[in-house]
Amino acid sequence: MLELIREPLGEAFFTRALLAVVLSSLTCACLGAYVVLRRMAFVSTALTHSILPGVIGALLLGISPYAGALVAALLTAAGAAWLASREGTSEDSAVGVMLSVMFAGGIALMQYANSWRDFAGLLFGSVVSVGSSDLIVIGSTTFIVLLGLRLLHKELELASFDEEYASLLGARPALMRVVLLALVALGAVSCVRLVGALLTTALFVIPAATGVLLGRTVPQVMAWGVACALSGGIAGLYLSYYFPAVPSGAGIVLCCAAPYLAARIFAPRR
Amino acid sequence: MSSLFQSISRAAFALLPTLPYTPTEKTGCGGFAVKAHSLSARARTDGPVAFRDASFEIPCGCRTALIGPNGSGKSTLLRVLAGLTPAFTGEVEVAGTPPRLGQRRIAYLAQRPHLTEHFPLRLRRLVQMGTYAHHGWFEECFHGDTAVDQALFKMGLADLAERPVHTLSGGQLQRGLIARAIVQGAEVMLLDEPYAALDQASREIIDTFLFEQGHAFTVVMATHDPADLGRFDRILEMRGGTIHTNHACEGHDHRHA
Repeated sequence: MLELIREPLGEAFFTRALLAVVLSSLTCACLGAYVVLRRMAFVSTALTHSILPGVIGALLLGISPYAGALVAALLTAAGAAWLASREGTSEDSAVGVMLSVMFAGGIALMQYANSWRDFAGLLFGSVVSVGSSDLIVIGSTTFIVLLGLRLLHKELELASFDEEYASLLGARPALMRVVLLALVALGAVSCVRLVGALLTTALFVIPAATGVLLGRTVPQVMAWGVACALSGGIAGLYLSYYFPAVPSGAGIVLCCAAPYLAARIFAPRR
Repeated sequence: MSSLFQSISRAAFALLPTLPYTPTEKTGCGGFAVKAHSLSARARTDGPVAFRDASFEIPCGCRTALIGPNGSGKSTLLRVLAGLTPAFTGEVEVAGTPPRLGQRRIAYLAQRPHLTEHFPLRLRRLVQMGTYAHHGWFEECFHGDTAVDQALFKMGLADLAERPVHTLSGGQLQRGLIARAIVQGAEVMLLDEPYAALDQASREIIDTFLFEQGHAFTVVMATHDPADLGRFDRILEMRGGTIHTNHACEGHDHRHA
């Protein structure tokens, strides 16, 4: 049993992926707390899905895929905000429009790059693809996100709980929303290698949803979320190591669902 | 472990320059808490005019009732005074300056506060939010606990301090929001029908605080309860989109000074 755990650790690619999982769990679970509490799950789905055209476009243009993904995610957020600013379009449908348009654009670009198989890793994540340069991107993202959440903790908490009081005090809830969307875009971009564009949103939602069932304060929700993401993430990585047919993203999301289900069944009613 | 983390973050926050939400305001009420001159406003930017040409003055420390039928513009007037809704004509000064967001001297309590449901927050933290008015960006609140405890005690909530906010009753939550305004140190309290759907116990606690303890703040309260009016110093009646009666408020200028 112990051998089963120790064996993959000898592989350099696996330790890199393991480190990436730990960092991404911290980023996504902490940010996810606000995503879930503010009911922004749909926006985060749109941001993560829009990474697809960004990355493929960047590959076609020969620039860094991270830059392409970030530009695409920010474009989605700005586009949705612009569409929703006109009366008659709800934010919900604006996000829906941007999500499907960006994703369709990605599929169209994929035909130009003419191979589905190359992009399977992009869509569903792949353990072997995490390189040391990716680790630098993921690590600095984690640092930026955690620093931002720590510094703006009271403002974000206030704006998420009572938007009107936040604006009365001058704590700029609209700005806080933009900051949060930018951090979500950054977090989503950083874990696309590991979990894939289609499944990244799960890493924001599932651990934080577990946290909401168990935690009584925002930091507690984050802590339980991180615990769920870490256990699910590491287990998922092993799953996809021993069953190479399972992409790492799928493995991680499936394994994160287990603690969520346990919390859903056994958490005391509040 | 947690104390180590706390001391590290204390040190980090001590090194950070703190930007106040707003520049420091001068304190003290210069005679009038509210001065409005031919004020007109809409509830929504594209909606009908809620009230027009409202002119009135409220001296400092005066308990003012705002009465009138539904849709007469009471809520909009309170939101204009709080700085949440812009007026499209006229001038108004609240606590000596035109209303704008980021003024800690004005507290506003909506008729139905839009609080995110099931948000993981303890009552103590909710009340502590009032102290944010005295802090700035990036600063974490490591102090201000005595003020929070006193406000909780005043509102009869001392035993509920650690309860999650979403398990509180409507009256307990309303008292919590008033405790938050106390901690904020507001000099002008704008209350939009605070008694709607409150039980007698909650109502009496709020009453004692607003009317019987000699606090040096001004109250403007929208109310529908005619039995209440005797306790107010001044009554503003809103009807047909304008302010009708403006009973005098004598000798209350500096009654707590």
